[in-house]
Amino acid sequence: MIMKTESSFLTRREFLKAGASAVLAAGVGQPFAPSAAESGAAERIRGKADACIFIWLGGGAAHVDTFDPKARGDGKKKPGSYYDAISTAIPEAQVCEHLKQTAPLLDRCVLVRSLSHGIFSEHGAATNLMHTGRRPSETIIYPSIGSIVSHQLGAKTDAVPAYVVMGYPNIARDPGFLGPKHGYVYLTQIETGPNGLMRPPDVDAARERRREELLAAWQEEYHRTHPDDQDFRAQAAISQQGFLMAGPEFLQVFDLSREQPSLREAYGGEFGQRCLLARRLIQAGVRFVEVSFNLNFLNGTGWDTHNEGQLNQHLLIKDLDQAFATLLLDLEKHRLLDTTLAVIATEFGRPPEFDSGGGRGHQSAAFTCVLAGGGLQTGRVIGQTDELGKKTVGRAVTVADFHATIHTALGINPHRNLYTSDDRPVPITDRGRPIAELFG
Amino acid sequence: MTTRRRSVHLGATRFIVLSILALHQQAVRAAEGGAPEGSSPAASFPVKVEIFEALPAGKELELREAEPVEEYAQRAFGFARFPTKYSANALPLDRSSAFVIRASLKRALPPGEYQFRLRAKGTARLSIDGESVLTTKPQQPNSSGNDPVPPPVERGNSPLRPAPYPHQEVLATVRLNGQEHAFALSALIGGKGLVPSPGELSVSFGRPGEVPKMLGSEDAPLLTDEGWASYVKEQSLRHRRDDAVRRQALSAGVRGQWDEYHERVRECLEKKPGADLPKVTGQTPVFNEIDLFIGARLEKAGAAPTMRISDLEFLRRITLDTIGVVPSAEEVKLFLKEPPEKRRQHAMDRLLAHPGWADHWVSYWQDVLAENPGILKPDLNNSGPFRWWLHQSFSDNIPFDRLAAELIQMEGSVYLGAPAAFKLATLNDSPMAAKADILSQAFLGEKLSCARCHDAPDHPHKQEDTFSFAAMLEGKPVKLPASSTVPFVEGFRKPRVEISLKPGEEIPPHWPFEQFAIPSELTEKVPASRGVPETRRQIAATMVSPENERFAKVIVNRVWKRYFGAGLVEPAEDWYGAKASHPELLDFLARRFMWSGYDLKALARLIFSSHAYQRAPLSSSAGIPDAEHRLFAGPMRRRMSAEQLVDSLFGAAGKHFDCEELNLNPAGNRGLNEFLNLGVPERAWEFTALMNERDRPALALPVAQSIVDVLTTFGWRQSRMNPVTVRQDAPSPMQTLLLANGVVGTRITRLSDSSAFTEMALRDVPLEELVPETFLRILSRPPTDKEFLRAMECLQPVYADRKQPGALRQQAGAATDRRVSWGNHLSAEATVIRMEEERRLRMGEAPTERLKPEFRERYEDLLWSLFNSPEFTLVP
Repeated sequence: MIMKTESSFLTRREFLKAGASAVLAAGVGQPFAPSAAESGAAERIRGKADACIFIWLGGGAAHVDTFDPKARGDGKKKPGSYYDAISTAIPEAQVCEHLKQTAPLLDRCVLVRSLSHGIFSEHGAATNLMHTGRRPSETIIYPSIGSIVSHQLGAKTDAVPAYVVMGYPNIARDPGFLGPKHGYVYLTQIETGPNGLMRPPDVDAARERRREELLAAWQEEYHRTHPDDQDFRAQAAISQQGFLMAGPEFLQVFDLSREQPSLREAYGGEFGQRCLLARRLIQAGVRFVEVSFNLNFLNGTGWDTHNEGQLNQHLLIKDLDQAFATLLLDLEKHRLLDTTLAVIATEFGRPPEFDSGGGRGHQSAAFTCVLAGGGLQTGRVIGQTDELGKKTVGRAVTVADFHATIHTALGINPHRNLYTSDDRPVPITDRGRPIAELFG
Repeated sequence: MTTRRRSVHLGATRFIVLSILALHQQAVRAAEGGAPEGSSPAASFPVKVEIFEALPAGKELELREAEPVEEYAQRAFGFARFPTKYSANALPLDRSSAFVIRASLKRALPPGEYQFRLRAKGTARLSIDGESVLTTKPQQPNSSGNDPVPPPVERGNSPLRPAPYPHQEVLATVRLNGQEHAFALSALIGGKGLVPSPGELSVSFGRPGEVPKMLGSEDAPLLTDEGWASYVKEQSLRHRRDDAVRRQALSAGVRGQWDEYHERVRECLEKKPGADLPKVTGQTPVFNEIDLFIGARLEKAGAAPTMRISDLEFLRRITLDTIGVVPSAEEVKLFLKEPPEKRRQHAMDRLLAHPGWADHWVSYWQDVLAENPGILKPDLNNSGPFRWWLHQSFSDNIPFDRLAAELIQMEGSVYLGAPAAFKLATLNDSPMAAKADILSQAFLGEKLSCARCHDAPDHPHKQEDTFSFAAMLEGKPVKLPASSTVPFVEGFRKPRVEISLKPGEEIPPHWPFEQFAIPSELTEKVPASRGVPETRRQIAATMVSPENERFAKVIVNRVWKRYFGAGLVEPAEDWYGAKASHPELLDFLARRFMWSGYDLKALARLIFSSHAYQRAPLSSSAGIPDAEHRLFAGPMRRRMSAEQLVDSLFGAAGKHFDCEELNLNPAGNRGLNEFLNLGVPERAWEFTALMNERDRPALALPVAQSIVDVLTTFGWRQSRMNPVTVRQDAPSPMQTLLLANGVVGTRITRLSDSSAFTEMALRDVPLEELVPETFLRILSRPPTDKEFLRAMECLQPVYADRKQPGALRQQAGAATDRRVSWGNHLSAEATVIRMEEERRLRMGEAPTERLKPEFRERYEDLLWSLFNSPEFTLVP
C-alpha cells in the first residue's frame, strides 16, 4: 500500500505517476529496502508500548554529571564528574548523587551510555538530529520522531491530538514532509494551556451556542445557494472534527487540580507538573508527548552548563530526579508503565574537563540517553564510555539505532518507508537497528 | 551614573558646559504611534548627511580629508536606517565595516541655555562650531548570554522616550548667543561583531525642564514615543522611495542592455513564427486567444466550460491572485460604482499597479527558491535573506529573465538581502550542489534532487550532473564530499541506486543539460554581474535563452498554475516524462511572454482577461486530473494560502500584526552571520522560523509566534531547507481550532479600539447598513435575504443602545519589553519578562469601552461566524 501524504487537495499526482510509485512501493525498485533478513528481524522484535513520553533536556545534559558518573574532578584542572556517585537498582550501574529517587527505580530503565554523533558546536543542528534521527538535507525536510509516531499510530481517539509538545515550537519538532496535519499542539505554560484548544475566557456557553447557530445558518444557506460545492462540504466536515477536539473532555485533561495535592507535590515544580500533565495526556489517548525541561533560569544556563552554569546544575538534576521518579511510579500505579515508553533525551553530552569558568563545553563523541518502561527488558546498561566518559567503548549506539529502538518499542517498523509528496520513499530511520536485547 | 563638570571655549563664543550626564543602558518599552502622512517641502530637510566608508581603523571620526561616498538631506539628527547601497545592477551591497555618518546643520537658536542630548549605541560625537561637546564610547561585542537585564525605566510623568538598551545617553548644557551655529554629529556604525545599524542614534535639545526636540528643522518632532515613531516612519518611507528612484537611475545602463537584448529576442521570435490560432464554434465564449486554445479542446472533448463567475466573485479572486489579500471595503465600493462593462478591466488595472503585487509574488518564490534565513546562529541549511531583493525586483517589475540571471550570478550582500544571499547554505557540505537543484527545478523544470547523493533512480540525471553544475556556480572544480554519497552498510542490502562518483572525486565545471544548450549569439548578450565567476553568467545566459524555450515555458506554466490551481504541465517543477495538457497554448503563452520582454504583469493581464480565468471553479477534491483530462473548463478550486489567509484576516479586521521585531539580538552586539534582523513584518511573507531550538522562554517572540502558528498550520513553511512548488496545506482540524479559539482568531474578532469593525459599529448608520457592510468586508459580497434577516435578528435587540456614553478610545496596550536581548537572555528576569508577555497575549486584546458589552459580544459572535465559515478561506 502506498502511504499517501496529505496533499491531495491541490496536488494529487497524475494517475500514471501514482501508478508507477505503487509499483515502487510494492518493492520492485525501492532504493533502500531492507533485506529480507532485516524485515524478518523487524517483525520478530516488536514492542508492546503504545505511547511515548519524550523528555527533552535541551542544551546538552552532562552525562558525567548525571547517568554516567566517573571519578570526581575538581571543578578546575582535574577532569571528572562534579558530584559523587551512588548505587542503583542496576547492580553494575551508578548514577550521580542528585538522582536519589531515580536510582532505586533504575530496574525500570535502560541507560544507553554509548550514543554519539558528530555535531557538537551547534545546538540547533544537534537538536534537529536528535529529533529527526538524521542530518538535515536540502532535498527533503525530515519529520520529527513525534510526527512519525503521529503519522504511524494516530491518536487513540478522534477527540485528542496525536502529538503534544510542552515547550516552544521549533523546526526540530516539525512534521517536515509529512505535512502540517502531523504537527503538534503545544503549550509553553501549563496555566495557559495550548493555543487554539482553550475557548477564550469571555466566551461562555451562551455565546458559544450563538456562534455555532450563526455558523450553521451560513452553512445551510451556502448549501442552498451552492448545492454542488463539494469543496465547501469537505472543509466544513473537517472543521467539525476540529470543534470536537476543543470539547470539554479533552480540556479537562489540562486541569491538574483534578489530581491529588500529594501527587502534585510529589512531582515537584514546573517541570514535574509537565510530567504529570504528560501522564494525563497519555491516558486521554495522545500517542507522543514531548516534555521540555527548559528552566534555564534555575542555574543561568539550563543544561548548557558553560562557566558558572555548572555551580547550580544540581538544582536541575534534582528537579529532573524528582519528576522522573514520580512519573515512573505514577505510570506504574496506573498500569501504564508497560505500555508507555518514557525517554530522556538530549542533543549531546559534555566533556569531563572544565572550562575556564568552571563549567563544561559540548561533547558529541559520547553521551547518555535513558529509556524506561514501554515493555522493554529494563534494568540494563547498553554500551559504555572510557574512564573519563570522553569516548564510547565497545558497543556504539547511533542516533538512528536509538530512534529505531523507540519505534520498535512502539510497534513501528523502523525500516518502513514513508513517502514524500512526490512519492520518494524515505525509510522511518536511516538503517537504524533496534537494540535487540531490550525486546524479549 | 557619573557626573562630570567642565567648561570649554568654542571659537569666539564662550560656552559653559554645566554638566554632562552619562546615563547608561536605559531600557524602554517600544512605542507605537500614528504618523502624519504626506510629504514635506524641501526646506524641512536642512540636515546634510554624508556617509564615509573604509576609513583607517581607530581614526574613523577624523573626517577632514575624507570623501563621502553618499550624501543626502533629512529632517533632523535622528537615524533609524540609511539609504541602501546599490551595485550598478541595483543589487544591495554591504558598506565597509565599520562606516561613518556625518550629519551637519547650520542653524540659529534664540539666545539662552540649552541642554543637548546625544544617544548612540557606539562611538559618536556631537560638535558645535568645530568643538566637541558630547561623545559616546565604542560598543563592545557580546560573548555570552549572561549580562544583567537593566532595571525598568521609571518614566514618571515624563513624555521623554527613554533610550533603548543598550544605548548610551550623554547630556551637556550649553549657552548659545543667538548667532547661527554649525552643529555636526559624526558616528561610527557597525564594525567587527556588531550590526551595521544605527539603533536610535539621535541628537535632541531643549531649554532646561522642557521635553527635548530633535535637532534639525523648525518642525522637527519632540523626542517622545509618538515623535520618534512618526519620525522613523517618515524616514523609512522616504528611504524606501529614494531607494526605488536611485535603483532606477543607477541601473539605467543595465536596463538599456536588457532592453537591447529583448529587442534581439523579438527578432529571434520573428524568424520562427508560432503556430496558427485554433478555431472554435460560435458557442464557445472567447475573450482572448487563451479561450481559443482552451475552447478548441473542450469542443473536441465534447465538454462545456463552466459559467462566468459574478463580478464580486471575480473581484475577490483576482484581488487574492494579484495582491494576496481580500479586497478592502473601499475597493468593493469603488468596484460596484463603476459601469458593469468596465469594472473588471479597471479593477485589473488598479491591482496590477498595486504594491501588493510584489508581496504576493515574494511568498511564492521564497518556497520555490528555498529562501531560508535564520535569525539565531543559523545551522539548518540556511540561506541569507534574499527576500528583500525579490520584493524589490517584483516592485520594479524587472524582466523575469533578468531576475533569474541576477539570482544565478549571486552578486551583492549576503546578509542585507541581495542575490548573494542565495549562495549561503549553512552547515551544508556542498552548498552549490543544493543551489544547482533549486535553480534547475525553478527555471527549467528539471529535478536534480534525486541525483544529489547518487544517480537518480527514475530520472536521467547522474550525480555528476549535479556536481558539474555546482562547479559552474563555483567557477572551479568541486570535490564530492564524503557525506554526499550512500555508503554500503554491513547487514543491509546494497542500495539499489547507482553510485557512479566516489567521495573525494573532483568534478570540473560543465553544463549538464545538453538539450538546453542551444548555441546562439544571444547568449553573449546577457549582461554580467560584477565580481562573480564568468561561468555563472554562462549558466544564466544558457538557462534563460529564448532558443531553448524551456525557461519561458516553465515560468508561464508556473504562473498559469498559480492562477488556475493546476499547470498545463504537471508537476510544474519536474517536467521529465510529463505531457502538456495544451502544448500549443503553452507555446503561445511562452512566445507572448518572451515578446513582452519577460513581463510578468503582461502575462498576468493576458490570463486574467481570458474567459477561462473568469469561470466558476472545478472541484479539486479529487485532485488534479491527468493531462488528457485537464481541460480547464474552469480553474481548479483553491483555498487561500497561509499568507493570503493571515493577510486577509488582519486586513479585513483593519488590524496590524503589532508583533515584535524579528530580531533576537536587538542590542546589535553580535555579527549578522549569527543574528539577523528581519524587521517588523507588515505582510505575512516577512515572517520566518523563530528558531527557538534552545527552547528558552527569553528567546520567544510571543506575538510573532502566534502568527507563525497560524501560518505553519495552513502550510507555510517556517523552514525552507528544500525547494517546494506545491505545499502540503490540506485542511486539518487544527486549522479550524486556531481560527476559532486561537490567539490570532480571537484577536481578529475582538472589537478592540484597533478594530475596523469597532469604528463601523460606532458610526451613526442604521443597522440595515452595518450588516451588508460587514458581509462585504469579510466575504466580499452582500448577504442573501435570509442571511440579512438572520444577522438583523441577532443584532437588532441591542443595536439602538450600543454606544457607551462618554467612553474613550484606550491607549494601545504595552508592547514588547526592549530590555531583553541575546546578551542577557539567560537571566531569570529576561525569562520572567517574556513569559509575562506570553500570558498577556493569551489574555487577549482589551475590548473597546465605547461599545456596550451586550452589543459588542453579539457583533463579535457574528464576526466569528463569518470568519469561521469555510466560505472565507475558499477562493471563489
